[in-house]
Amino acid sequence: MNIELTELTRRFGRTRAVDGVSLQAGPGVFGLLGPNGAGKTSLLRTMATVLPPTSGKLRLLGRDPGGYGPRREIRRRLGYLPQSLGYYPGFTVAEFVEYFGLLKDMPPGRVPRAVAVAIEHVGLGDKARAKLRTLSGGMLRRAGIAQAIVNEPELLLLDEPTAGLDPEQRVAFRGLLREFGQRSTVIVSTHLVEDVGAACTEVALMDAGKIVFHGTPEELTARGEGSGAAGDAPLERGYSAVLAAARSVTAARA
Amino acid sequence: MTTATDAPVRPRAPRAARAVPLTAARLLRIELRRGAMPWILPLVAALFWFDSYRPSTAMPPLWMWRTFWNMGQGHTIVDFGPFVAGVAAWMGSRDGRRGTADLVRAAARPRYATQLTTWAATAISAVGAYLAFVGVMFAVYAHQGVQGSPPWWWVAVGAAAVTAFSAAGFAVGAFFPSRFAAPLAAFGSFLALAMSSQTGFRSQSGWALILPTNSNGNYQPMSGIFYPYLPDLPIARVMFLAGIATAALGLLGLPAQAGGPSLRRAAAVVTLAGVAAAGTAAGLAGTARPGPHGMVIPALHDAANDRPIRYTPVCGHTAGVPVCLNPAYRRYLPDVTAALAPVLAEVAGLPGAPARATQVAGRYSKGEGGGGQAMTINGRPPVLRMVLDSLSTLPGSTGFTAGREATTQFADLIRLLSVHAFVSAGNGAGTPAQRAVQAALLQGAGVPFAAQPTALAIAGLPPSGPSTGNGPGTASGPVYAAARRLAALPAAARHAWLAAHLAALRAGHLTLAQLP
Repeated sequence: MNIELTELTRRFGRTRAVDGVSLQAGPGVFGLLGPNGAGKTSLLRTMATVLPPTSGKLRLLGRDPGGYGPRREIRRRLGYLPQSLGYYPGFTVAEFVEYFGLLKDMPPGRVPRAVAVAIEHVGLGDKARAKLRTLSGGMLRRAGIAQAIVNEPELLLLDEPTAGLDPEQRVAFRGLLREFGQRSTVIVSTHLVEDVGAACTEVALMDAGKIVFHGTPEELTARGEGSGAAGDAPLERGYSAVLAAARSVTAARA
Repeated sequence: MTTATDAPVRPRAPRAARAVPLTAARLLRIELRRGAMPWILPLVAALFWFDSYRPSTAMPPLWMWRTFWNMGQGHTIVDFGPFVAGVAAWMGSRDGRRGTADLVRAAARPRYATQLTTWAATAISAVGAYLAFVGVMFAVYAHQGVQGSPPWWWVAVGAAAVTAFSAAGFAVGAFFPSRFAAPLAAFGSFLALAMSSQTGFRSQSGWALILPTNSNGNYQPMSGIFYPYLPDLPIARVMFLAGIATAALGLLGLPAQAGGPSLRRAAAVVTLAGVAAAGTAAGLAGTARPGPHGMVIPALHDAANDRPIRYTPVCGHTAGVPVCLNPAYRRYLPDVTAALAPVLAEVAGLPGAPARATQVAGRYSKGEGGGGQAMTINGRPPVLRMVLDSLSTLPGSTGFTAGREATTQFADLIRLLSVHAFVSAGNGAGTPAQRAVQAALLQGAGVPFAAQPTALAIAGLPPSGPSTGNGPGTASGPVYAAARRLAALPAAARHAWLAAHLAALRAGHLTLAQLP
């Protein structure tokens, strides 16, 4: 298993952003759905070893990130795209990707080739020498994806990766996800259920810090059939139905 | 929970040990190319030109004088320090401001190592610019034929100060990552330098000598001409500034997210070492005492630096007396011989009249470039020893002041000090009789009574006549009355009286009433 979470909790003060999440995932594309404030970003940041868990167990790529040595080893094999991508405006696309490739401890000799491949992968080959400050929001997002994949990660964590991408780029990006999913574990946090339907082999739905559904996109779709839940697409209706059911249970307990 | 298929973790080749420095070098290259420091350099260059370069080029063509202003008083440091600290804070706060902290934290390379690389690029740009600016300034001096030798140790102090400001500023930015970190660091540095300068003007001893803008004891007028620049105080200051830089950089490695336990332990050791170095340096400065050629710190002093610099004097003749100067003062030889000519003619044939005039090194006393008595006459045959480097009125277009007035002022001063030495008035004003004879001889040597109070004031000697508030005083009163009587005598009579009474006069046994 590349990801093993057991009763993982992450608190911010009195708020439980992640509340007893248990999850296992191997290679493949894993979709993480949920409304705003569901805890998706906190869960991803915890898996990216940026936030330590408050309680529970976390194993990534067969290692416990609680120790410095294993954590560093995990980070070498990790790709991470945060929800709000920070960047250095004066860097070129190539420098930005190279910079993070080097920070990921890639062998320096391999970096230039890997940078070129990553930039081509996201369709920014002709913008490699452009300063980041000159790029559009969608191009910046693609530059962020390039830095995430430059080290050919075994664990790729993408928080809202398609935000700002045009339809053509989103289609291409789904292809990229499928390609990486064949050899790595890819976790994609998103609001866009069509991305999940098109690219993910598994999906989890979070609400109020908990995972309220875990299955295949087809299983999620089935939850919506005949439920009368709102949504334009079958997967959206499944999403709404699961959320409604989870909230009614919570309300009944309260 | 259902899961996707299990798969083993792909093995990866272990990283070669040499990959680490290569990675650091590549990161450094990117940081150097994209750092913020070059953007601020035009502003620093303008300030450097205005504050350090421009005033110094108007000074006499001697390395000591040229660099005392801009390096001895720390102006080059003041020009760079606040800007460097501000830019370093800007770079230190970059990940916080730009929202890249998560990306950097999720990377394998320890955050501390990444921060050190960013700082190193900032510091390299800043120190490189400092050395380039100083190098250009020194090259211009050399092209202008400036004499003596450059104060290299003070360049090292400046470079260490720039490094310390960059490290301290970077630490401020790293710990307070907001857009206000840079202006706060810059303003804080400016305040620190201003307070350092104020303390420097007041404190001539003790720990305050460690402050890089404290000009007291920095170097003396004869430095680089008669004696080497004493490196004692610069060594202590470099140690102090390096200690501050080291401690600031060590602090970056202390937070939990900085790196692994061993790295954080190393950072703690580095911090302590920096604090210890800075404290030790301040303690060493506290032991500093004025030596004959500059500030001496016993624990750091090398006796080899007390040996004079060998030179072959340049000589001229006037009134049959050879006048010899250090070759660094070659361009002033005509002025000195012309100034001495009437004095030497006036005292020729009298007991104790100098058979030779030669320039000697002054003896250091506390204060900014302080010196002792400017001229003395002693030895057999008598030799007039002149400490020209203590004079602040060197004439010429590259002197302190240009034009005819400056040349006259310089000549009056040379004449006053040589006559003052001739009557053995010592370091003070002398007895009333000595002052009266001095005034009469000066009148005979071409320094009119009316000009003498000003010359006395410039030489730092007490007035011989009544004082007029803050002014130099007037040429009146009993001393000048006696002087006027003596000056009114025919030259032969005055000469005969002096020949008979000089011994008593020099011994301080004559009163004004005993003058003719």
